[in-house]
Amino acid sequence: MEEMKKAILDFAKSSKKTKFYFSDLEKAVQKVIPKAKAREIKKAATALINEEKLIYFSTGSSTMYGLKGRGQTEDH
Amino acid sequence: MAFEPREEQKELKYQELRIYSDDELHNYTEEELKNFKVKHPIPDVDELEKGPWPSFVADAKREALHRKKLADDRMLINSECVEDLLGQLQVSFDDGETHWKHGGIVGVFGYGGGVIGRYSDLQEQFPSIAHFHTMRVNQPMSKFYNTDYLRAICDLWEYRGSGLLNMHGSTGDIIFLGTFTEQLEPVFYELTHVLQQDLGGSGSNLRSPSCCLGKARCEWSCIDTQDMCYELTHYYQDELHRPAFPYKFKFKFDGCPNGCVASIARSDMSYIGTWRDNIRIDQEAVQAYIGGEIPPNGGAHSGRDWGKFDIQKEVIDLCPTKCMRMEDGKLEINDKECTRCMHCINVMPRALRPGLDTGCSILFGAKAPILEGAQMSVLTIPFVKCEPPYENIKEIVEKVWDWWMEEGKNRERLGELIQRYGIPKFLEVLEIPAMPQMVTEPRSNPYIFWKEEDVPGGFKRDINEYRARHKR
Ligand code: HEM
Ligand code: HEM
Ligand code: SF4
Ligand code: SF4
Repeated sequence: MEEMKKAILDFAKSSKKTKFYFSDLEKAVQKVIPKAKAREIKKAATALINEEKLIYFSTGSSTMYGLKGRGQTEDH
Repeated sequence: MAFEPREEQKELKYQELRIYSDDELHNYTEEELKNFKVKHPIPDVDELEKGPWPSFVADAKREALHRKKLADDRMLINSECVEDLLGQLQVSFDDGETHWKHGGIVGVFGYGGGVIGRYSDLQEQFPSIAHFHTMRVNQPMSKFYNTDYLRAICDLWEYRGSGLLNMHGSTGDIIFLGTFTEQLEPVFYELTHVLQQDLGGSGSNLRSPSCCLGKARCEWSCIDTQDMCYELTHYYQDELHRPAFPYKFKFKFDGCPNGCVASIARSDMSYIGTWRDNIRIDQEAVQAYIGGEIPPNGGAHSGRDWGKFDIQKEVIDLCPTKCMRMEDGKLEINDKECTRCMHCINVMPRALRPGLDTGCSILFGAKAPILEGAQMSVLTIPFVKCEPPYENIKEIVEKVWDWWMEEGKNRERLGELIQRYGIPKFLEVLEIPAMPQMVTEPRSNPYIFWKEEDVPGGFKRDINEYRARHKR
């Protein structure tokens, strides 16, 4: 779990993008931990949300993840 | 089956929850409404009131007047927000383009759905709708609620939102239209802690599942739609609130093929109640319909004289699979050919009833994309039993999700994925056999595709060896 969380954060910090689909996070984690399962990765992402390191970004019809404090802020 | 709540149910008493007095709630006269003008000129928006149908503009004006007459300290969102909403709509008509920005990082803590962020791009002109976030409220099963509950949520939304709401969205949710970011958490708190009411789904989540009236009120219901919907809503809470899907996913439950929640058109996974045995026939009641003693269709068309009921013309000839006939004064149905369309049962409900060996059919893949047009769900699983705790159903759900999460592209609905890979691949995922009913024109289309691994020796062969046995 901690390893997955680290992989997600490392990826999010190094990426040029500010918003990620869940599948981007999944690929990033699987690069580091090839056997990681989608459901486990999701738990890690949810933990990061609860720790306020990641935030959700929602357009209404689809949802993405973002790094807190980067990219578009609340009152854009 | 009696309702067994997952958590202790509070009894909501509006008298204890109310925010406004009766005088505040009924604070304008019809005369005042007639003379009321919203503060912006809105000629094109006004046009929308002129057609034959009820218009949201008329409702919005009532709400605008109501808010204008409430004391300013009785609302946490500016009283003019409804007027500004209509004003901005007029500007959009003038400009031929929308003035809402797209998306936003708003939500309530820990939830990836349920709140849809919206910001105006004309914030100086329309400050009271600078934020206009929508909140989705997960409707109670079959939308059964009492007036105490309704009054309580209306008061809450008047106080902390625009007062405009939408009963209900196409997913079924009650939609709260328009509030500012700082009100999201308080509304969420009031809903969950006080009213025992969760938010619904939005974004790449499982959307709020919804169901027809089911066994609560409808004797045609072949499955307990409310129980299934409630169980799956609770069981898949994580999928509902914490998005990890490629896109949205909807469950809808119809108790019979009449499809009152239109699951076949509106859900990625449509559950439709059906039966495996025979339609139950009460021959005496059939005669009573023929003799005119019982009005057909439960009397629904009795406003006009349609002449004497003609069972041949109105029922037998309209059976889509032509599987009914009258034989020696008795109605006969060849149930093997019956496609469970419900027509005969709808016309003669006291004579004909669904069978007793009931369960549901599962169909997959409906969606309504703007560019390509609507697509219905495809009948994939003809029959499964539906008994709590629905382990067999959950197993199917998870097979489908695993495949879609693995193979689906971002923003690809299940129906599009099935189209991309083909039904045969989808059947493989579900581990079920194909059947002729899945094929258009099965008699002229052989619909058998061999895979290399199914053919002894594969697709490669030694042509000389073959020619030695079969001369050209
Ligand atoms: C250039 C501007 C815009 C682009 C390129 C854009 C693009 C999109 C796309 C690709 C979708 C997903 C459609 C689908 O496959 O279902 C979408 C959904 C949506 N957009 Fe936009 N959009 C724009 C502007 C706006 C604006 C200004 C608003 C609102 C004020 C808006 C409101 C919505 C809503 C509500 C949905 C969700 C529809 C649903 O699936 O229920 N969009 N948009
Ligand atoms: C009286 C006015 C309005 C009515 C009657 C209305 C009605 C609806 C309905 C029926 C839906 C579908 C809900 C569902 O799929 O469950 C919807 C969705 C939505 N509406 Fe409205 N709406 C109104 C105003 C607005 C305004 C002013 C905004 C934006 C500021 C807005 C933004 C949205 C969004 C973002 C969605 C969700 C799209 C999605 O499915 O992801 N609506 N609305
Ligand atoms: S779908 Fe069928 S069971 Fe459900 S309410 Fe409609 S008629 Fe009744
Ligand atoms: S339900 Fe439909 S298909 Fe079946 S016997 Fe009645 S009319 Fe025919």
